[in-house]
Amino acid sequence: MVSEDRSSPVVCVNLWYDVGSRHEPAGQTGFAHLFEHLMFEGSVHVKKTEHMRLVQGNGGSLNATTNPDRTNYFETMPSEHLELALWLEADRMGGLVPALTQETLDNQREVVKNERRQRYENVPYGDAWLRLLELLYPPGHPYHHPTIGSMEDLNAAGLDTFKAFHQQYYVPNNCVLTVAGDASPAEVFALAEKYFGQLAPVAGIPAAPSAHLTGPATTPARETVSAAVPAPRIYLSHRTHPFGTAGYDAITVLATVLGNGRGSRLYQRLADGKRIAQPDYIGSYGVDLAHAPAPLIITATAKDGVDVAELEDGLSEVIAGLVTEPVTDEELSRAKALLTTAWWRSLSTVGGRADTLGRYATQFGDPATVAYRLPQWLAVTADDVTEAAAYALKPESRVTLTYLPEEKA
Amino acid sequence: MTLVATRPGTGEARPYTFPEIRRVTVGGGTVIAAHLPGQLLASAMLLLDAGAAHESDGREGTATVLAKSLEEGTRTRDSAAYALALEGLGAELSPSVDWDSFRVGVSAPVPLLLATVRLAAEAIRTPRLDPADVLRVRDDEVTALRMDWAQPGPRADATLRADLFGTGRYGRPLHGDPTSVAAVTVDDVLAFHQSGLLRPGVLLVAGDLDTLDLAALGEAAFAGTTGSARAPEGPLAWTPRDQRTVILVDRPGSVQSTLRLGHRSPERATPDYVPMTLAATVLGGAFTSRLNHLIREVKGYTYGIRGSYAMSRRFGRFEVAAGVQTAVTVPAIVDTLGEIDRTQLDGVTEDELSVARSWRAGQLSVEMQTPGAIVGALSTLVLHGLPDDYYPSLRTQYLEATVEQVSAAAAAQLHPKGLTLVVEGDAAVIRDELVAAKIGDVVDASF
Repeated sequence: MVSEDRSSPVVCVNLWYDVGSRHEPAGQTGFAHLFEHLMFEGSVHVKKTEHMRLVQGNGGSLNATTNPDRTNYFETMPSEHLELALWLEADRMGGLVPALTQETLDNQREVVKNERRQRYENVPYGDAWLRLLELLYPPGHPYHHPTIGSMEDLNAAGLDTFKAFHQQYYVPNNCVLTVAGDASPAEVFALAEKYFGQLAPVAGIPAAPSAHLTGPATTPARETVSAAVPAPRIYLSHRTHPFGTAGYDAITVLATVLGNGRGSRLYQRLADGKRIAQPDYIGSYGVDLAHAPAPLIITATAKDGVDVAELEDGLSEVIAGLVTEPVTDEELSRAKALLTTAWWRSLSTVGGRADTLGRYATQFGDPATVAYRLPQWLAVTADDVTEAAAYALKPESRVTLTYLPEEKA
Repeated sequence: MTLVATRPGTGEARPYTFPEIRRVTVGGGTVIAAHLPGQLLASAMLLLDAGAAHESDGREGTATVLAKSLEEGTRTRDSAAYALALEGLGAELSPSVDWDSFRVGVSAPVPLLLATVRLAAEAIRTPRLDPADVLRVRDDEVTALRMDWAQPGPRADATLRADLFGTGRYGRPLHGDPTSVAAVTVDDVLAFHQSGLLRPGVLLVAGDLDTLDLAALGEAAFAGTTGSARAPEGPLAWTPRDQRTVILVDRPGSVQSTLRLGHRSPERATPDYVPMTLAATVLGGAFTSRLNHLIREVKGYTYGIRGSYAMSRRFGRFEVAAGVQTAVTVPAIVDTLGEIDRTQLDGVTEDELSVARSWRAGQLSVEMQTPGAIVGALSTLVLHGLPDDYYPSLRTQYLEATVEQVSAAAAAQLHPKGLTLVVEGDAAVIRDELVAAKIGDVVDASF
């Protein structure tokens, strides 16, 4: 796909591979993400460390991310280096395996273990997402385990598994290539043919385990963690609808009404209002997963001296109010205005635009569907929000994760 | 399967340009705007000469409390009405405080920018600042700082700053600490507002200027203001040290050690700005930097390590920052010192410098695509008195810097023998090894 935009002399090359941690079998958690690291360590015509050197050494920014659904790779370059970026991506799509070494795997395994320490283990509340996933999705569900994986599985990762992983999933028919910015479609298509055209599709890409769920959970789940945290904090979460559905559009508007900004219900009622929650740490947001009902997460941190039970009651009351006190026109238009600005901001760089197009092509089979998202948010009614809340936010489907400061010895 | 073996060459580069800059003087202030034709969103920032440097001793954090109090209602509407009005435009205020300025940014769809700037000015110029609200915001800020300080990093940062800059405002954290914020009074906040936020300042705008009315934006931003800009103060005096100190900040049970290695350096106006920046890029800026290559890509000690200079109007500092696995704390420090030493003594190579040059130059395009980024770039011009053609000229300076110039800057502006090394980690596990390594005298931080 090409989205031509000549406003800056830069171009983004973005690839979505339709493989994420949802594809990982038991015992191999964290492999999709560790593999993402290996993609920067050289391929048949690119020496170890050369990928980064060629992108940055030609003025570019680059990164990659892995989540439960997919893995994406992207670099934004001054546009005279478009061809270099495509060559680098083709080389690691078609020629990674011969360059993979045990030394590289061992090194990146240590880097990823340090990533796990830095992001999840060494920060207060850092493991909340890891705990929520286990509570939200049943064992065996592809979203049950976190993308970062377990230390145990990472330690057991063998080179052959990664070679097979590449051969199975890093194939042209499992990938969407998007270029946005200072380039013409004709130019990009010709270059894509030149560099990717000879890569053969591979049959029999293994599907992820079934992600089917019949609906929201029917029994509540609760976990209380005593840890080195500075204040009690609550995460309430529900499985809602998959990203990309009308139901999830209503959840997106609901999350904004409920917990985005100072005008949101949570802020107005619990940070201001009752003043039981810390104003900097209250909010709600959906996690945009597309292959199963996606989580809505609602969080608040107790102010000094506030009992955590009082905070939980306050949160429950505000959530229940989404059904009993219909959303007003003013609340709805506030939410839609914020979503409109956020939408255009997310598309204001060539990187953001390329990634969004890649998402819609990968997950919905048609990049043109991107044009419907904002209008669909804007079409959500107060009744839609009430209905979404009544369906997805029942107390009996709720996951409650509470952090309490551990007693000092 | 056939891959193309030959790396492609470079296509034809478009000439670098920074967006056209326009100026309008109106209502006692100046609007400086960059033209981004066709952008749906526009950004504006009111840049005020009211940085943290103006806070009183022992009341560090006053400006931050003021920033967070601005949305607690204005003379004409309460906080809930204000939030609904502003967020109803799809906008939010982003106030921030740094050493040199107090700034409030907004972004909105182009047709709504004027109404957004009017609301921003209402909060900045005529906030209600009810004493009970200010005290509550202050107490919330104390709690928020405690939350922040429970993470690895802030205590190490504060320790390094205190050691490098000593007593006085610059030796204290930018946003204060829980104790200094708790000491902030309503009068401190009112006085800071009175002395800093009623001067016109400068309004920066980036967006489609064919549609935006700069005079109207300026009138909205400068309405009711008085006074003129404060006279800037000169750089702080300093000399490099000749011995190292290791300061241990205890974080029992920590699975990583947070490293902050630093020393003072020249202020932003230094003629060495470009070669220093490039030297730091080779040492610890780019992904392929010496530090990240050795400590992450070869040794696997960290998820990432960076070295950089930060420079404000009155001072600068060099710093290396990383989180490393606890068990390899000392080897990671020893390797880091080795790379700083080597860079100071032997300079950089042409291969390394060519990456640094092109990266820094390219980033001037890659990182300046949005109205928000362009407004940030304009603020640098204003704060440091730089000309309108600064970015094109900076790009040329990056691309033309020689190995000799950059190596000379590394030799002059790196002081590995005078580093302060702050290590925040599990002291019971790492102390003995740190002492035995004889990196420098090991002392305990006062937290």
